[in-house]
Formats: sequence, C-alpha cells, structure tokens
Amino acid sequence: MNLFQILAVAAVLLLSTWTVRTAFRGQMRKRIALFWLLVWLGSGTTIVWPRATVVVANRLGIGRGADLVLYVSVVVTMAGFFYVYTRFRRMDTQLTQLVRALAIQNARKPEPSDTPKQPSAH
Amino acid sequence: MTQLLENTTEFASSAVRGTWVVIAAYNEGEAIGGVVSDLVDDYPNVVVVDDGSGDDTADAAAGAGAVVLRHVINRGQGAALQTGITYALTRGAAYIVTFDADGQHQKSDLPALIGPLARGEVDICLGSRFLEHAGSVPLARRLLLSLAVLFTRLTSGVRLTDAHNGLRAFSRRAAARIDIRLDRMAHASELIDQIRQSGLPYREIPVHIRYTDYSLAKGQRGSAAFRVALDYLIGRVMR
Repeated sequence: MNLFQILAVAAVLLLSTWTVRTAFRGQMRKRIALFWLLVWLGSGTTIVWPRATVVVANRLGIGRGADLVLYVSVVVTMAGFFYVYTRFRRMDTQLTQLVRALAIQNARKPEPSDTPKQPSAH
Repeated sequence: MTQLLENTTEFASSAVRGTWVVIAAYNEGEAIGGVVSDLVDDYPNVVVVDDGSGDDTADAAAGAGAVVLRHVINRGQGAALQTGITYALTRGAAYIVTFDADGQHQKSDLPALIGPLARGEVDICLGSRFLEHAGSVPLARRLLLSLAVLFTRLTSGVRLTDAHNGLRAFSRRAAARIDIRLDRMAHASELIDQIRQSGLPYREIPVHIRYTDYSLAKGQRGSAAFRVALDYLIGRVMR
C-alpha cells in the first residue's frame, strides 16, 4: 500500500466507527447508518483495490475506473445537494409558519400612551 | 378622522373602520412611532409586525397605538406582511392596506386606494409613484425601478408602471387569496404573480413617496436587486 492508501483507509475506518457509534447512541437511524457504512465500505474497496472500479466500469462501457468513480460521485453529490436544499427550503417555510403563529398568538394590544413613553432599557 | 369624513362624502366611516393598515418593521424604532401615531388619528386599526428588531420598534409602535405582532426571529419583509395580513383577516378586516414603516408613504393617499375597493370597482389597488409624480424620485431609484418594472413584465406578463411599491390595498376577498411564501424582498414580484393568477381586478393609483435621507438609507440597495431576482426565480421553480 502506498501512503495515500494508508491515509485514506485510516480516514474511512474512522468514519465507519463514527457512523456506528452515532447509530448506537440513537442519534442516527439504523437504516441511514447502514447506507453510510456501505458508502465507506465501497470507498475502502476502491482505495485498496482500484482495479475493482475498472471491472465495473468496463461492464458499463466506461474505459477507465477513475472516470466511473468521478461520474458516480458527481451525481451522488448533486443529488445530495438537491436533497439538502429542498429540505432546507421546507424547514425555512415551516420556521416562518411557526414564527407567524407565535406572533399572532402573542398579539400585543395597543397601549395608548397617556403616560409619557418609557425610556427603553438598553 | 372627523376631517376625513367631512371632506370625502363617498369615503364612509364604515370603510375606515373596516380598514386594517399592515406595517412590516425591522429596526424602525426611529420612525415607526411617528408613522403609527399619524395613521391612528384616522385609521384606528393599525398592526405593526416587528420582524425581530433589535431596537425599540415594538415599544414605539405599541405606544403610538398599534397592535404589535412580534416575530421572535427575523423572517423578512414578505413573511412579516403575510403575518399582518393573516392577523387582520382574523380581526374581520374588510380592507387591508400595506404601508411602509420608514415614513415614505402618505396617509393622504389612502382614500384614493381604498375608495375603488369600497365602491366595488376593483379588489386590489397598487400604489404607483410613476403615474403622476415621477419627478420627485431620485434618478438612481428611477433607473433601478424601471428595471424592476421590465423584469416584472417579462416574468409575469403584467404591465405596471411601478412594480415595487409597498403601498397597496386589498379587499378582504383578495387578501384571503394572497399567500406570500417568499419571505424576503422577492415577495413584491410574487404578489404580482398571485394577483394575476387570482384573476381579480386591480388598478394602479398614483401615490406620493417622500424620499428622506432616513428612508433612502433604510431602503434596498441597488446591489440587492440581483439577489431578489434570484430568490424570486427560484421561488417560481421550487414551489
């Protein structure tokens, strides 16, 4: 193994332990944790045995394994961004609805100032 | 109120009592008190949505006689206006006017905006600073706003002389159909889309804008226009 492989495998192992630990603490659903473990396993395999990608790439009619990895990671990254973006927008909308409901619930009726306006505290 | 009732016979007191003025305010503590106290003399129903201000906007508005709704965190002008409109509808508003917090709008323009609604001629009146009084608008503003008008015409197909005027009046029926989802400044274009989609009749009414150093400093910078346009276009695609 060359230096890159050693470092990359170490990183993948670290991410795997982190994933497992998070799942066991109940901070991540088991199914989601399994998905990430498969991602780390796939990464580890291609790092240790790069020829694996060539085999799959050739099956798909792509010449080089590195190209396959690039295509797949671009698609996955874009899909991830899109997912996060739609979620973010939905949460943003829900946050506004929450803030609105609170504001209306706590409507403050006018306080006609017969008394002189109090100086603000700050 | 008395002066208004005596002067305009067609502008009945029921129209005034049924009118709710909605003001979105973010850090407008300096101006909001004066704006509200001027309005409540003639229009008793004023609701100020304090959009998470860090200053004394809420106290100033409540002290001047407005109902204050407070957004615990800042959500943007579009969100604040929708909050005020929703509230006014629950309070039985017959007409809803949106009014800016910085003192650029004139109370004296309101009868002209509400009148056509009260007479049942249209459901929406949009203030325009360019129908009559364009001369008072600073040149840089005029250029920016004419771009906004062009943008609106291209994206919505609606021909307006002033696409981004915060002074508007809605009948209850129109206000109930308005659903502002773009929280920030792009709501102005979104509103125009919804007005067109609602099929309700609208009219532009000439209004006066008072440009002060304060209102110009608080206003949108020209450089924000690109972001607003992007917000709007994304909003159209993503809904």
